[in-house]
Amino acid sequence: MALNLDRRHFLGLAGAGAGAAALAACGGPSTAGSPAASGAAEIDFSGVKPAASIDFWTNHPGKSQDVEKAMIEKFQAKFPDIKVNLVTAGANYEEIAQKFQTSQAAKSGLPGLVVLSDVWWFRYYTNGNIIPLDGLIKQLDIKVDDFQKSLVADYKYADKQWALPYGRSTPLFYYNKDHFKASGLPDRAPRTWQEFGEWAPKLKASSGAQYAYIYPALAGYAGWTLQNNLWGWSGSWSDGWTFNCDSTESVAALQWAQDSIFKDKWAGVSSKEAADDFAAGITSSTISSTGSLLGVLKSAKFNVGVGFLPGGPKNESAVCPTGGAGLGIPSGVSKEVQLAAAMFLKFMTEPENTAAFSAATGYMPTRTSADMTAVLAATPQIKTAMDQLAATRVQDNARVFLPGADQEMAKAAAKILTQQGDVKATMTELKATLEGIYTKDVKPKLKS
Amino acid sequence: MTRQLTERPPAATGPAATAPAAPRRAGWSGRKRRDFFVFLALALPNLVLIAVFTYLPLFNNIYYSTLDWTLGSASATVVGFDNYISFFSSADAAKVLGTTAVFTLVTVGGSMVLGLLVALALNSKVRGTTFARSAVFAPYVLSGVGVGLVWLFIFDPGYGVLAWLLRGIGQQSPQWINDPQLSLVMVIIVYVWKNLGYCAVVYLAGLQSLPQDVMEAASLDGANGFRRFLSMSVPLLSPTTFFLLITTLISSLQAFDLIRIMTPLGNGTSTLIYEAYLQAFGAFNRAGYSASISVVLFAILLIITVLQLRFVERKVHYS
Repeated sequence: MALNLDRRHFLGLAGAGAGAAALAACGGPSTAGSPAASGAAEIDFSGVKPAASIDFWTNHPGKSQDVEKAMIEKFQAKFPDIKVNLVTAGANYEEIAQKFQTSQAAKSGLPGLVVLSDVWWFRYYTNGNIIPLDGLIKQLDIKVDDFQKSLVADYKYADKQWALPYGRSTPLFYYNKDHFKASGLPDRAPRTWQEFGEWAPKLKASSGAQYAYIYPALAGYAGWTLQNNLWGWSGSWSDGWTFNCDSTESVAALQWAQDSIFKDKWAGVSSKEAADDFAAGITSSTISSTGSLLGVLKSAKFNVGVGFLPGGPKNESAVCPTGGAGLGIPSGVSKEVQLAAAMFLKFMTEPENTAAFSAATGYMPTRTSADMTAVLAATPQIKTAMDQLAATRVQDNARVFLPGADQEMAKAAAKILTQQGDVKATMTELKATLEGIYTKDVKPKLKS
Repeated sequence: MTRQLTERPPAATGPAATAPAAPRRAGWSGRKRRDFFVFLALALPNLVLIAVFTYLPLFNNIYYSTLDWTLGSASATVVGFDNYISFFSSADAAKVLGTTAVFTLVTVGGSMVLGLLVALALNSKVRGTTFARSAVFAPYVLSGVGVGLVWLFIFDPGYGVLAWLLRGIGQQSPQWINDPQLSLVMVIIVYVWKNLGYCAVVYLAGLQSLPQDVMEAASLDGANGFRRFLSMSVPLLSPTTFFLLITTLISSLQAFDLIRIMTPLGNGTSTLIYEAYLQAFGAFNRAGYSASISVVLFAILLIITVLQLRFVERKVHYS
């Protein structure tokens, strides 16, 4: 076939190409000004009527789909004019974030209320994706003082409240009581990792399990749980905006973890979900979220014990990070939708509902006035998680405020814990990566 | 297909060439105009679809690659070629391009060589070949997500089938999922397993269409089975090999589902396409940077396809 392309046709095609390029430039973000963070001005909701229907985007943290459905039914019985559509927007916090960010880019399909995790809400703030809740808290009389103070404070920035706590968790130390008993160990979690280092060989020898302890899956939230090891040795991912993951203390903490796998050979690394490995009897102990508690208790065929996270040689307490998710309201929806979403948010976080959510999942009750008597009678282990809250520490900036830092930490952990990489060199490399992310993606957007 | 860039349409040939030249617009009357509208009616819907769903996103992506844009942000800054410079000057570029090259070469080579061997086996006249053909082809039509999940269970070092077998002979399972180097091996194994059925079926069709008279003549001349395969079948299969080379190369460079399901962090398995996904949607939300990686992938695919058409096709024996 011959295609005769004369000058006229050639110019026509070139024009069409240029037109398509120009059309392409019309879509996407505006290049007129610099990126603005959320909440330049307080939103006035006076005279606004709540929308008749809102979408609630959730990943059902802690397998909470049924309890979320039940709460929505209760809400709709109380407010029959507002319909709440429960949307499964992902299987985890990352997937829900992906859907949310994509909808922001498409400028359509945004929900009224969205579950946002500890590592995502700040990004939504810097991108201008969420509204400050202060005005709505005042208008709807949401009792912020009744929330667990440290959990509410996690979402405060620039004197504004950007979310409220929902499925909040801490890591817990899970142990197989039967294995501990058979090894002649006390029925409790170890106070320090050094103590556990003495127990572990006995435990592995007598339990028949593959490991005495399994480190949480690296593709999960390694950056979250490894803070426990780092803090116990007086190390950290970062101190404020100083990235000190290559400090002597941090390197010592991760060297100890590496030795537990390659030198002492009593520990392993989970490939998918440490809580599942523990419940399956592969390991005698692990660290996992409180949100896994109910699932572990249901599936484990042995007596499950839980305890505070072990300390280290330098710090025995305040070595437990908070975590989990809160609820936020997008800026890209109408005021009517925002108001209806705030009413639903208020309802979801009321004391009886947070108690019900806690009972169904193992997540911590976010309200101090929540009546947990019945919940604790059924699942006394939740009390340990509640008590540990008093000994928690705010997470390192590097993990929660730097986009992609969690993944970089997981890659560094993989090098150390599965490839026996040099700890100091790996941490030095990680430090450079974290500094690069901070300089490029975060520093320009921080409030001075 | 040949292309000519000319000022005027080429001169007509044949009897009509002797007629005096007609005015240019005269051709638009009558039948020619009707033909043109029929052409438009038939082709326009497809042309519009291709323009909207292929070329517009392509131009959009090229435009985004010139922006410093955080996904989810309503504003962005024009940075020209900065994203390309950042990518090629970062340590990640060599790692990602290396992973892409290893993944593509091994999966394309593995699928084609194993596919050809399987096709030879399926071409033999023994009982059960119909079932075997279906069984070999079945993985190709399965969902990549489902395949990835099942194989993850097989490779799981804790309670996977492979770990169980290894424990039976006193061995510990390697850390297939956590170790970046083994992760790449794991994904390649599963990708080849899933795709070799496609190569096998296409090669089988090629083998069955080989001219039997030529093969028999070679046999009469004393060529043994191996010699006939090497000197007759392989050259005569070159159109099939060429077709498979293009299609498997392109699909390997675009492989996504297995990598996403089996190694969500992309640690050790981040090919160009997966790196583009991770940068925009994974955690970093660097939409402009991700777009520049996509453009690099597009350019590589374009170059490979042009090179294949220009040089490799010359080696193909179509008859």
